[in-house]
Amino acid sequence: MKRILAIAFAAMLPATAAHAHHAFAAEFDANQPITLRGTVTRVEWINPHTWIHIDVKDGDGKVVEWMIEGGTPNTLLRAGVDRKSLPPGTEIVVDGYRAKSGLNRANGRDITLADGRRLSLGSSLTGAAAGESGADAKK
Amino acid sequence: MTKHALFTAALVVAAFATAHAQNAKTYTPPKTAWGEPDLQGLYTNKTITPLERPAQFAGEAELTDEQIAELEGRAATRSVDNGRSKGTEADVSSAYNEFWWDRGKKVTTKRSSLIIDPPDGRVPALTADAQRRQAEEYKQPIFRGGGANGRGSDWTTDRSLFERCITRGLPGAMSPSAYNNTYRIVQSPGYVAIQIEMLGGTRVIPINGGSHVGTKLREYMGDSRGHWEGNTLVVETTNFSNRTLYRGSSENMNLVERFTVIEPNVLDYEFTIVDPTTFVKPWTASIPYIRTTDQLFEYACHEGNYGMEGILRGARVEEAKRAGETKP
Repeated sequence: MKRILAIAFAAMLPATAAHAHHAFAAEFDANQPITLRGTVTRVEWINPHTWIHIDVKDGDGKVVEWMIEGGTPNTLLRAGVDRKSLPPGTEIVVDGYRAKSGLNRANGRDITLADGRRLSLGSSLTGAAAGESGADAKK
Repeated sequence: MTKHALFTAALVVAAFATAHAQNAKTYTPPKTAWGEPDLQGLYTNKTITPLERPAQFAGEAELTDEQIAELEGRAATRSVDNGRSKGTEADVSSAYNEFWWDRGKKVTTKRSSLIIDPPDGRVPALTADAQRRQAEEYKQPIFRGGGANGRGSDWTTDRSLFERCITRGLPGAMSPSAYNNTYRIVQSPGYVAIQIEMLGGTRVIPINGGSHVGTKLREYMGDSRGHWEGNTLVVETTNFSNRTLYRGSSENMNLVERFTVIEPNVLDYEFTIVDPTTFVKPWTASIPYIRTTDQLFEYACHEGNYGMEGILRGARVEEAKRAGETKP
């Protein structure tokens, strides 16, 4: 019975797993997963989605700027994140997909701090959402 | 739409109103200074309860406590690590980790679907005419469907109105989404206004404000007129344009919304769609609006819509790639 329930709920969730207001699959390429380690230079706290700018060193040691698409500022504010939460100089690792345009843009499917903690609700980085357990330890 | 069809639609709407009145709740909300039921305040309608009853719950209108606990447990632990396969379009569509979403972790009703009629909790079948229209839709110069996906990427007009930051239409704009689920209701003598967080905008609904505008006038959000039936605000909307299609609806849609404060912190929002040119029968959903102490934020969606640029630019790159592959 438990297994049947699990299947039932797994099937039920996607019905409410609504997507962003625009089609990420049209913007980013499923065939180009990408992992970027870089340093935050600025965060565009902008609608409809935030964009995190990072400097990434390429294979030759040259610094290349990348833009990472995140969630809407309203949601972040509600989660206790504000524009100071990712100060310039913060090292992050972005797991995402590269833009189909070929520009140095990617979606922030998953973003972790250099020490492996995942950006999440109650992250100690944010200094907000009191009572939450802090950044998840990423397995 | 023929006169006969309109008359039939009106009869069906009346029948629904009667059925609802019989189920009216007993809670009596406070009154405004000028004596109308007071609906005012900030609400959120975020929920993990789906619009349609999933096939797995066929015949089960209500979930058991155990089922709800399991469902909410899964919502609480939802993550990129669970149930998503890298390198798939579905994964890209899911955009990012839960961190970025605000779609709720709780059911807001024991029902297994927001739809309460028909009793199977599912959107009724499309008429043959609606199916034909849907097939034709992709030949129209401007894409008129809702949702996040357009039909192509030649130009912005191929994309949905939602994606273009224009509107979700009705009842889309009143339905829960993955974020920006806050609403503010304010009243003054003669008007009820509803401010909508997702995409912004405010509906200003005249109360007892006479008849609808002429049939030639067509609006994205239709022409809404309200009146009170006991403690329920009833809003009837007609004059939809053919640009805002809701699940295949037509400009003939007659939308009846019913707002009733049923508990101090819960407003029952019901909509009934009567559109005989689209659905084989009318259907009704009931969405709990829960009072919130949160704020309603601006969502100036055009502010930095790099996504639209990315979609169109990406499509040009893919076109060029395909052209290169087909060269002799």
